Amino acid sequence: MTTPESTGKPTVKIQLNGSEVEADPSQPLIRACHDHGVDVPMYCYHPGLHPVGSCRICQVEVKQGEAPPRVVAACRTSVAPGMVVDTESPKAHETRRECLEFLLKNHPLDCPICDKAGECDLQDYAFQEGQGEGRSSEPRRKLHKRRSLGDVIVLDEERCILCSRCVRFFEDVTGTAQLAVTGLGARSVIDTFMGRPLTGNYQGNVADICPVGALTLKRFRFQARVWNLTKTVSHCAECSRGCAITVEVLRRKQVKRFRPRFDPNVNQYWMCDTGRFAFDHVEIPACEPGELTGGRLTDAVQRGAHGVAGQGVAGSGVGARGLEAVDVDRALGRAADALTGAAARAIVLSPFVTQEEAGAALELARTLGAEVCFVSPPPNGLQDDLLHTGDPCPNRKGLETLGVPGLGADDVRARLAKAGVAVLVGERVQELIGLERLAALTGGVRLIVLDLVAHDLPGLEVALGVPCHVEKQGHWLNVDGLRRDLAIARSAPAGVEPLTRLLGQLAGAVGRPAGATAEVRR
Amino acid sequence: MVILQRKELTLAERLYLPEILRGLSITFRKFFKKAITRQYPEEPLPKDEVTRGQPRLVVKDDGHLACVSCGLCEAACPAYAITIDGHEVDRPIEREPERFEIDMLRCILCGFCEEACPKDAIFMSDELELADLTRAELVYGIDKLKRPRSALQKRIDYVYRINDRWRNSSSTP
Repeated sequence: MTTPESTGKPTVKIQLNGSEVEADPSQPLIRACHDHGVDVPMYCYHPGLHPVGSCRICQVEVKQGEAPPRVVAACRTSVAPGMVVDTESPKAHETRRECLEFLLKNHPLDCPICDKAGECDLQDYAFQEGQGEGRSSEPRRKLHKRRSLGDVIVLDEERCILCSRCVRFFEDVTGTAQLAVTGLGARSVIDTFMGRPLTGNYQGNVADICPVGALTLKRFRFQARVWNLTKTVSHCAECSRGCAITVEVLRRKQVKRFRPRFDPNVNQYWMCDTGRFAFDHVEIPACEPGELTGGRLTDAVQRGAHGVAGQGVAGSGVGARGLEAVDVDRALGRAADALTGAAARAIVLSPFVTQEEAGAALELARTLGAEVCFVSPPPNGLQDDLLHTGDPCPNRKGLETLGVPGLGADDVRARLAKAGVAVLVGERVQELIGLERLAALTGGVRLIVLDLVAHDLPGLEVALGVPCHVEKQGHWLNVDGLRRDLAIARSAPAGVEPLTRLLGQLAGAVGRPAGATAEVRR
Repeated sequence: MVILQRKELTLAERLYLPEILRGLSITFRKFFKKAITRQYPEEPLPKDEVTRGQPRLVVKDDGHLACVSCGLCEAACPAYAITIDGHEVDRPIEREPERFEIDMLRCILCGFCEEACPKDAIFMSDELELADLTRAELVYGIDKLKRPRSALQKRIDYVYRINDRWRNSSSTP
């Protein structure tokens, strides 16, 4: 978070818990507290939304001038010069505790069931500050526990504390104002206008900003307890914006959530639902038993020595389709032999490769004297004014900076048709070129594929498994040329080598005379 | 270096027989006392309400598990013996475990799960025996863990009584 000193804005001096600090007068007091490491609880306040001061949990004691100190809501009070702020005074604590008691008055005690438990602001502050037992003998109000608000969100009206963050999200951020607080007094609930389901590509954000477990994602509901998720700082792969996200993995295996992470230059606090639910690109099922293709490729497969597409070789251990599983070293040796013997070579990159992997691919291309391009699919029509660029290539800018041209799938096919041997590099590269285009390639081009999945293409010579974008390190450049770092959120399946290492070994092996490369030694 | 001087044996000790008789007299006296060994598998151990055996899941009177798969026992388990996956159900209690596994080879019978449970869904039963032919069969799933509430009632009453006593004697308001 940027401090007022670093932004160069005019600042004023205030007293905060006994020490003199500089604060930005255009910001509410709660921001000054948070910027200086003073923890003030907040439910209705969210730094990305306009403040309303409805929950009153952020009350602090402020003394201005000669007037006696007053308890004010820190989110609705602007910073003024000479303010003396005490967030920990007995009066402030008492006021906050009383607010909390009223917020908990109708809040159901279903933390064991609630998905928010563990990352719930209400739970945390009630544990820290609240009293153990309620004093009310009135029954809690009974409302709908499971109201569907469209395809993405479920509302639990009993848990809602009416902070109106979700209402303001649709007003301030998307500008569609789809939610409202309806009803009066104790009968107030969050509802959509006319009961119409929520629409748009940004609905998932309201589940993130909900300070309690009232709004939950249908896709994540009851999937995991949040303290079992390992969170890794990374970036989204679904468009060229490259939103800052955390990847949350259950038991080191399954990616359960992508959540936005604050990035002032790119996505603020938000991300789109396309990126949020892009599990299909990282959760690739394993191959069917006995099959080598169609599922996540963990090792390597190659066309059997005598195998022909569509024909097995009886008694040779070669699979029914003429493919056999081999270890990575042998597969690399086979690939190097094919590349060394060929006349015309082409390298096609996936737009998902990192700059580091692209560098290794360019090194291989220099060794081979091959032409390099990347597959550039057309815009996917998801573009909007907020975040999604509509361009499904997260590293387009980076590859163009390295001088790799982007070609449409048909141009790639034309280039492949002219080559003797082609190397297809990176996750989903076959899918983006189009399996039917690759299957229809004529002219006997031999394909060396480094992808997540092996497909039984007629020209397939060797296929090697690679890590997907949550399993590797590296960086992309987003549409504005900003560096987007990837981190390893879970380890790649056993047998899968980093793509940079595979390309480096291949480049080392093709330099040697043919035949000597039967097996690459590490 | 120390040179040890062995004690010179007395005549009675050198004769050997008096000492033998002294030892046998203890043996013969025990013949006529009550035996303290137990014929264990045929003659089971006495089970008390404080017996803290293996953890078991409570099945409520309506036939559903009391567990809502909140994962607190999983988090409390010091031996990482418990694994829970929940799923949504259509009842007012919105979630129940799809998979609830206790690796009984890992379980150290500490009772933290019983203490952590907010729903009175897991209790330490009086079942003590644990033997099987493979490791996989000792990872108990819901089928092997569930018990009707009546089977655990003695322990449930005991835990309630102990907790009440603790609550009343507690100095915190």
